[in-house]
Amino acid sequence: MSRAAIFAKIESATAMVKAKAAYPEYDLSIVHSQPKLEGSDLWEIFTRNFSAVNGRAMTSVNELLDFLKQSNQLHGYCDPLLYDGIGAQLAAAGLVVETEYHRDRYDDYQFGITRASGAIAESGTVIIDDDRTSHRLAALSPWVHVAVLTRAEIHRAIPDAIAAFGESPNIIWCTGPSKTADVEGILIEGVHGPGDQIALVI
Amino acid sequence: MGTCLCDAFYDDVARATVEVLEHLGVSVEFPDNQTCCGQPAFNSGDWVASRKVARHCASVFSGDLPVIVPSGSCAAMNFHGNPLQFEEQSDSEIDSLARRTWEVMDFIFNGLGIKKWPGKFEESTRIVFHRSCHSRGTGSGEATLELLRSIENAVIVPFGQDEQCCGFGGTFSVTFPHISGRMGSLKLDHLLEAEPDILVSGDMSCLMHLTGLARTQGRPIEHLHAIQVLRNSLL
Amino acid sequence: MIGIQPIDQYARDISDEKQASVIDGSSKGTEKRYHSLHQDYPDPDAIRKLAASIKDHTLHHLGEYLAKADESLTARGVNVHYASTDEDARQAILGILRQHGVTQLTKSKSMAAEEIHLNPFLIENGVECLESDLGEFIIQLDGDEPSHIVKPIIHKNRRDIAKTFVREGVAADYNDDPETITRRARVFLREKYMQAQAGITGANFVCADTGRLALITNEGNSRFGMAPVQVHIALVGIEKVIPQEKDLAVFLNLLGRSATGQQLTVYTEFINGPRSANQPDGPEHMHVVFMDNGRTDVLASNCREILRCIRCGACQNVCPVYRQASGHAYRSTYGGPVGAVLSPILFGIRFPELADLPKASSLCGACNEVCPVDIPIPDLLLRLRDKAKKESVPSAGAIPMSPFATLATSPSLWRTAMTMSKAMNHLPIQVAPIKPLQDWLGQRTLPDSKGGDFRKWMKTHQANATRAGTTP
Repeated sequence: MSRAAIFAKIESATAMVKAKAAYPEYDLSIVHSQPKLEGSDLWEIFTRNFSAVNGRAMTSVNELLDFLKQSNQLHGYCDPLLYDGIGAQLAAAGLVVETEYHRDRYDDYQFGITRASGAIAESGTVIIDDDRTSHRLAALSPWVHVAVLTRAEIHRAIPDAIAAFGESPNIIWCTGPSKTADVEGILIEGVHGPGDQIALVI
Repeated sequence: MGTCLCDAFYDDVARATVEVLEHLGVSVEFPDNQTCCGQPAFNSGDWVASRKVARHCASVFSGDLPVIVPSGSCAAMNFHGNPLQFEEQSDSEIDSLARRTWEVMDFIFNGLGIKKWPGKFEESTRIVFHRSCHSRGTGSGEATLELLRSIENAVIVPFGQDEQCCGFGGTFSVTFPHISGRMGSLKLDHLLEAEPDILVSGDMSCLMHLTGLARTQGRPIEHLHAIQVLRNSLL
Repeated sequence: MIGIQPIDQYARDISDEKQASVIDGSSKGTEKRYHSLHQDYPDPDAIRKLAASIKDHTLHHLGEYLAKADESLTARGVNVHYASTDEDARQAILGILRQHGVTQLTKSKSMAAEEIHLNPFLIENGVECLESDLGEFIIQLDGDEPSHIVKPIIHKNRRDIAKTFVREGVAADYNDDPETITRRARVFLREKYMQAQAGITGANFVCADTGRLALITNEGNSRFGMAPVQVHIALVGIEKVIPQEKDLAVFLNLLGRSATGQQLTVYTEFINGPRSANQPDGPEHMHVVFMDNGRTDVLASNCREILRCIRCGACQNVCPVYRQASGHAYRSTYGGPVGAVLSPILFGIRFPELADLPKASSLCGACNEVCPVDIPIPDLLLRLRDKAKKESVPSAGAIPMSPFATLATSPSLWRTAMTMSKAMNHLPIQVAPIKPLQDWLGQRTLPDSKGGDFRKWMKTHQANATRAGTTP
């Protein structure tokens, strides 16, 4: 009932528009941020922009290991598909690495390692989706999230990432750690989502 | 077009407009039947009243000559406000007036193409330039700034939050006295912080409001319309 | 008519502390927006105008695009509902919750949900409905209303919040350190996320071609609200539709920058279906409620450009009236410049009461200058003032304009009045005929009247030129 009523009202309202605007043809390069896109190596560009939003770009599991040890985040989750390459190495160094995420123990996981589906160099963004992430919550609830990706998966600019959406019903772009400035405009990181966002390239 | 404010209070601004234009070789006519652009009634939403006044104005200025106004807000009334209040009707004289109206500094800089003003101050003069809100989206702001800047010994001094309105808004200052007064006082704080020798604007309405507040608050400020500065700098 | 305009009264009576918070937050927002746009783009205005034309095109063809969005969503297993009024929307949402046996949910920020006063309604009907955005969470605890589209607690400081936390049992002791406040909220809320059965969100954009909803946050609260639950409900105004995914690049690049000075907010989510088959977390059921609630009235009016609004709050940040009075002064869901246009029409039944909103403006145009979709707000305010006059809505402090029109269309009367006004120089202020004018003169020292002086000079000047045989 509401559906018919709404469409009827839209119809009569738009009938009154004397000169209906045409869809503007435009080149997507109009929204490219040239200063942010400086450089030719996508991983370098990504690293620069990701660091600018307080993300941490890493190129080796050792780097990750050092960071986790230093920040005393020693218990976490790793996607079983990433265990061989990453989780095992951490476990060998003495960290507790689970390959199952149990939501009733959500606070046990200080870090979560999951597979990203891409990244955007222009904005310093990591792309996560339902199909490649083993557990949404494992990427979200721990203080440290490690998004694992390959260089080939880095898109240059925002329009490129959009064109490559694909079919996943849930895609999320993470541009740094979660944050808020609700309290007097002061920036605080680590609100509901991770306080440390890592991008690990393999 | 002299504007009602100059008619009532600022005769020297209208005079300077004529003198500067004539100095530039422009011959100036002043139709004596002119009164007001109608903006007060327009802003208060009484478009029946303001259309009456606009029609009178359009007929007084009918013809082909460019209509030059020493006021961004009155000029905007002619070329922006009128098309809006006449959008349901069509009036060729109103359209004609809209096409031919120029704010004076815009006219000098873009109409006549004069990019530098050959005038000078006796000594270094710190100027704070208040760009009136009605000049948004027009060439007036840049025109006035560039012309002022080019005067020898003129120093254009920046000040805080310069994009903020002075708070006059015509009838707004009567119906929203607290907000209008506070906006004006805030602007004065920023202007005076820059330690200017003189406050310059292209709109006497802004200046009347700001300097009026300033005087009542015991912190008067030297002020001139930009066109007066141009004329004075030639003397 | 004598009296004080409500918004002026708010400005007069607002506490210094609250006003300082608002001014601080707004000015910072204005600066950040400017830098964010100008450091990355040589011509931000070109992008704003492009965004405006995409929105105008969509609005002029809204029926077609809304139908397409519906089709795209339905094809991917989303349940699409429609709500003509706020009551319809509330009932639709409650119906969905009952259908799925939901008694506890979290909700991310949604202005549309504010319009329909969703929270109290759900709570009344036995559903625990908790705001998950930190600012909105605090608003809910205080029984307050948000005063800014993007920064709901722009009017509060850390002491206010710390006291609230203690009072409402979110914290055991008083601590006003912002980081501590945030951590405490984090701990409190994540338990609630995990307990909830549903998550309610709004949507910033809906792509007609694929049905993708775009949701932007910095906190990750909407993401967390949807991850552990079985049901996701999105309440979306019908004007949120955009033609195609490609257009997201334009709007996303404008929205974050205009709102908070960020190219992208931390989380940008794109959703067009329940969780995918192999994903253990996320809703199995997704519902979208498209809401009208007055939008078609706006679409039919001569202020339809306001529907381009993408809710960035930049106009609020830059508006000198908003800064002085704060968002609450607008007494409706939307405040500041966007509210001054939208509220009187959207909540049309309240028009006489809200008719002062369009008047609370000096028409400075700063709002239009910062609007990512180039809405000509001052023009729309003027059209609403015309509407109020036509409908004879009484207005406090208004000055009658017919005498002015008579004077301004009789040149000889005008000229006489000018010369006679010089007598004013000798009269005290108290003689001014109406109180508002008296107050005005009390605040500002006027220069002496020079009525008629220029005209006299001009006549002599022209006469001299003629005599000298020179063309002046």
